[in-house]
Amino acid sequence: MKSERKIKSNRENARASTGPKTAQGRARAARNALRHALSLPVSFDPALCGEVEALAREIAGSDANPEIQELAHCIAEAQIDLRRVRCVRHQFLTRTLAEPYYDSRANTRAKAALLGRLLGKAPPDVSLDALVKFVTSTPEGPQKFALILTQESKQLLAMDRYERRALSRRKFAIRAFDAATKASGQRARVAPAQV
Amino acid sequence: MTSAPELGLFGQPQLLEGENAADYHELVARLYAAVKPLDIIDEMFITDVASLEWEVLRWRRLKLNLIRALELEALPAFLNERFDYDLRSAHFVDSLAETLQENLPEDQAKSARTLAYTYIRDNADAVDTVNEVFAENGLDMDQFIQDVRTQKIEELAQQYVRRKPDAVAQIQKLLADAGRSTDGLLVDRLVKRSKYLEHIERIDRLTAIAESRRNASLREIDRRQAVLGQTLRRSLQEVEDAEFKVIEATPTKGQSAA
Repeated sequence: MKSERKIKSNRENARASTGPKTAQGRARAARNALRHALSLPVSFDPALCGEVEALAREIAGSDANPEIQELAHCIAEAQIDLRRVRCVRHQFLTRTLAEPYYDSRANTRAKAALLGRLLGKAPPDVSLDALVKFVTSTPEGPQKFALILTQESKQLLAMDRYERRALSRRKFAIRAFDAATKASGQRARVAPAQV
Repeated sequence: MTSAPELGLFGQPQLLEGENAADYHELVARLYAAVKPLDIIDEMFITDVASLEWEVLRWRRLKLNLIRALELEALPAFLNERFDYDLRSAHFVDSLAETLQENLPEDQAKSARTLAYTYIRDNADAVDTVNEVFAENGLDMDQFIQDVRTQKIEELAQQYVRRKPDAVAQIQKLLADAGRSTDGLLVDRLVKRSKYLEHIERIDRLTAIAESRRNASLREIDRRQAVLGQTLRRSLQEVEDAEFKVIEATPTKGQSAA
């Protein structure tokens, strides 16, 4: 068993050594979990819960037994999750494409370095036109889009993992649902008008 | 269930700037017409196929545009070495006339085009006048010719990328004369701009992911349609069996079984 002195010392050390210290760091860390919230289950969002229920009812039909209702709920949850992931990725791409000064990290560093040298003791001899052209030049069109895909690949791959999991969950839920409806014969998939 | 889709539960189409919503809806409508979904799960898969196919097309278009951008970078460098700019061409006359119009006194501005024409025919008076106008306005004829040539080269490269027949023929001839090809120019450019290779690899990877997910959705549609076929066959068999049993179980006296 730990002594009181040890517990106190651990607490003090933890307070002294964990987490960001600057206001900027704390603000950034505070937003970590809010970056895209994709790790949270759909059930944590009341608005999405309502959509899951509505979709599950649509899938199961009105006279479904509890097992089929449960399986329909799984499909609906995966489908709404999938929609949420795709929406987050779409928003991310739209927002990044709309950033007017988006540039590669290497270029941004080079621009900052040049501006730093200009403010230093021995500024380089650069014409104002050339300086403005260099500082304000950013990739456009396909180059910009391709740069975003490469440079932001880490974030995009993370979203892709969520999408893959949601797709997998939905596929197996649909297969289970189809098997259950086939076994119970509870629900005819064919609309009467089309038989 | 084969009418126009309601996308509410599946989300809005995820189009980026410059993409045409009408084209996307047409794609969805064509898939609906082809697959004829029988329930909301089929609709989910069709929406997936449409969305993923759209993504595949987006990545292919991006790759093509990136390669065109590379061509646009590679061609001017090649043309700068090989292109023989004709100082008697309409392009030069137009450019010179435009510059003269901006720099001549107002009352002479209208004669700028005539002056440009006579200048290229080496008319001594016209040459003197043009030189005077350039000198008075701090312009340098050599620099002007170089700028106009660069402009022409850029226009030619743009037209080539847009596959304008005249520009394509002209550049193909220059390439053939130099024993080069556009592929070779692209490779040279890719070596200098290795970042592009990384971009292209990334786009290829995204295309492969979208294609594989689209194909998985198509397989699920196939599987469900096959299940539907089996269910229908079993239902029809049950109907036929029931009818047969009814006829056999309750024979009516004095009537034939047929």
